[in-house]
Amino acid sequence: MKLKKVVSALLVGTMVFGLTACGESAATPAADTAAETTAEDASVKDSAVTGNADASEKLVIWTLAKDLESFAERYAEQNPDVQVETVVIEPADYVTKVQTALNGGATEPDIIVGEPQMLEDMFDAGYFEDLNQAPYNAQDYADQIVDYVWKVGQDKDGIQRAISYQITPAGIYYRRDIATEVFGTDDPEEVGKLFADYDTILNTAQTLKDKGYRIFASDAEMNYFSGDSAWVIDGKLNVDQGRRDYMDLSIKLYQDDLTAYANQWSTPWYQAMSGEVPILTADIQSYADDSVNVWDAESFDEATADMEKTQVFAYGLPSWGVLTLRDNVGETSGKWGVCAGPAYGFGGGTFIGISSLSERKERAWDFVKFVTLNEETADWWIEKSEGDTVSLLSVLDKHKDDENPVYGGEKLYSFWLKQAEGIDYSKVTRYDKVIGDAWGEAISNIKTGVATEEEAINTFYDTVAATYPDLVIER
Amino acid sequence: MADQVVKKTKKRDLNKTGYLFVLPFVIVFLTFSIYPVIRTFYLSFSEYANTPKPPVLVGFKNYARVFGDKFFWQALGNTVRIWGVNIILQLGLAFLLTMVFSDFKYKIYGLPVFRAIYYLPNLIAATSVAFLFKTLLDWRFGTVNQILQAAHITKTPINWLGDPKYAGMVIAVIGAWMWFGNSFIVLMAGVQGINRDYFEAAAIDGAGRWTVFGKITLPLLRPIMLYVFVTSLIGGLQLFDVPFLIIGNSVSNVRGSIQTVVMYLYKFGFEVSPNQVGYSAAIAYVLFFIILIVSAIQFKLLGSKED
Repeated sequence: MKLKKVVSALLVGTMVFGLTACGESAATPAADTAAETTAEDASVKDSAVTGNADASEKLVIWTLAKDLESFAERYAEQNPDVQVETVVIEPADYVTKVQTALNGGATEPDIIVGEPQMLEDMFDAGYFEDLNQAPYNAQDYADQIVDYVWKVGQDKDGIQRAISYQITPAGIYYRRDIATEVFGTDDPEEVGKLFADYDTILNTAQTLKDKGYRIFASDAEMNYFSGDSAWVIDGKLNVDQGRRDYMDLSIKLYQDDLTAYANQWSTPWYQAMSGEVPILTADIQSYADDSVNVWDAESFDEATADMEKTQVFAYGLPSWGVLTLRDNVGETSGKWGVCAGPAYGFGGGTFIGISSLSERKERAWDFVKFVTLNEETADWWIEKSEGDTVSLLSVLDKHKDDENPVYGGEKLYSFWLKQAEGIDYSKVTRYDKVIGDAWGEAISNIKTGVATEEEAINTFYDTVAATYPDLVIER
Repeated sequence: MADQVVKKTKKRDLNKTGYLFVLPFVIVFLTFSIYPVIRTFYLSFSEYANTPKPPVLVGFKNYARVFGDKFFWQALGNTVRIWGVNIILQLGLAFLLTMVFSDFKYKIYGLPVFRAIYYLPNLIAATSVAFLFKTLLDWRFGTVNQILQAAHITKTPINWLGDPKYAGMVIAVIGAWMWFGNSFIVLMAGVQGINRDYFEAAAIDGAGRWTVFGKITLPLLRPIMLYVFVTSLIGGLQLFDVPFLIIGNSVSNVRGSIQTVVMYLYKFGFEVSPNQVGYSAAIAYVLFFIILIVSAIQFKLLGSKED
């Protein structure tokens, strides 16, 4: 009898407890959306208000990239009657945040942004204002911006909805001194031929290895050039020969000891930019052997002191890699060059537009124009960012003869413009993140021997099919 | 006569005041509990991308997809596996403590204090717990690895959170740490509910500590244990916050072995592009029905024990 009382008291107690727990855990998606606002502070990386506190006008920007804070500052300086609030949000939370605000009818932010793979969904949802209509008439500016960037900012009906201030074509950054020693030339045109296709790259890699060098630090350097076809064409998953070849290349680079076994962005990966780096092992790279901590610069040197050293020949990065290398080349500064890769490719880029619910659209358009279509701003941005590649053609032209000392005086702006001209924007789809990640995982599982090629590719197809059941998949 | 009328009006007024008092709760409950539940049910029969465009009804399509989705079952398997390890540790520890504190020979003082201390981990927000363990177990700079290496127990750091072998266990241990105090309180309450006469009789008959525990405490605690077990399963099946915060953004093969059902649901509702809110809602309801069945079994078992 007593026990029964205890049990019923417990049941009642937990029911009450359970109710509070339900409210907290918000297991249902609808409740999660409601909870989103409370999570706001966690995902906001930075928020800055610039300009006159008693300005008559205000502009609110929600962005992924901190760049826009600098633009906002400059804008407020030139427009003292406008106060600009820039909120920098974590990329992983950005889309959800905009969805929550705009689905709920919020009239702020005025300016929203997106990266290429986010844009299709955001355009479909109608978050971005149609910039082709009056008073914007964006189409009048079409010939002022690099073509691929202009087109990435268009929805599927060709309506302009966002514009980017930068271009991000990919290139191969190589060591001129090693090129001269091994191949007898450091001319970008000639070195580009060593990267003409995947077979040639493997030959180049072997030649370099025979001379004691390694072609790349990691086996992922050709990633930016691998998207030569779209993942999805007319509702059908497209895994063409190019994808298979890229997979084979990555596996061979890894299994045939052709790289320094560094992971991208790890300590040895950066270290190789400035000269000698230890040749790690496949097990260290895949973390099967954790005797060397590749993410800890301090212990890394000590742990690898007895290892054989090499120098790395090249990196494959978008144009923003200019800044990455600049900060890491050390004594090899001036010994670098940039040439074309096996295909055209690009990576990232911040596209800005006006929220369709904004109540300050004219002011917002003025800001968009200021950031993307203003020569003086673009000029200033090159200076301020210390070498970012802008999208405004006239400014690229103006700087086409600028020589970059880190790259042996190479005229990088004209090079990037040429690369950008070859980019086919239509290869970007909304499915790229999920499918690209699954393909990367398949490659990684094959090369490290976690799965056979057949198993890994089947898992890849399974993942895509489970995530997008409406896609036609031919195995 | 007139007196009675006045009394009646007063009573009615008081009733109305009562409604007024419960109104705030009812509003919050309807808005944040009932509405999302109904809305999720509706969405589970639709396709909806979390945009201003209204959901499109598609019938049972999403449910059919859940049952055919091997990654859903894999996620359910992960969830049950993590819960399994968790419940063994959690109940084991709670039992040990219950044995110690309910010992009829050694009376241990300060039970309320210990009870409060054991319960404390449960009061810490999941975010803080996740951050705490992320810091302690960090592969590069984590305290645990540094201690293990300094004491020469391991030569190289163990990748607790980045290795599928360990990550699931770590989540289970964290769960046990958070919840053992709760189980302990419940078990202790159960022990205290047992008639003292049994223990006294046993003592007079010369029964030892183990005999008393095995023959009296344990059998009489069985309904409570079952209760702890099943409520823990219900909570365990909804596991999300700690693994999501700790493993959420790590490499996918780790995530594959840790991904719980609610993490899988979250992926479709908020991460894949475009959002598949309808499918996400269907997963939520399938999970709900699984929990419902488990609860029904619990009540059946508990009911029959009471008879």
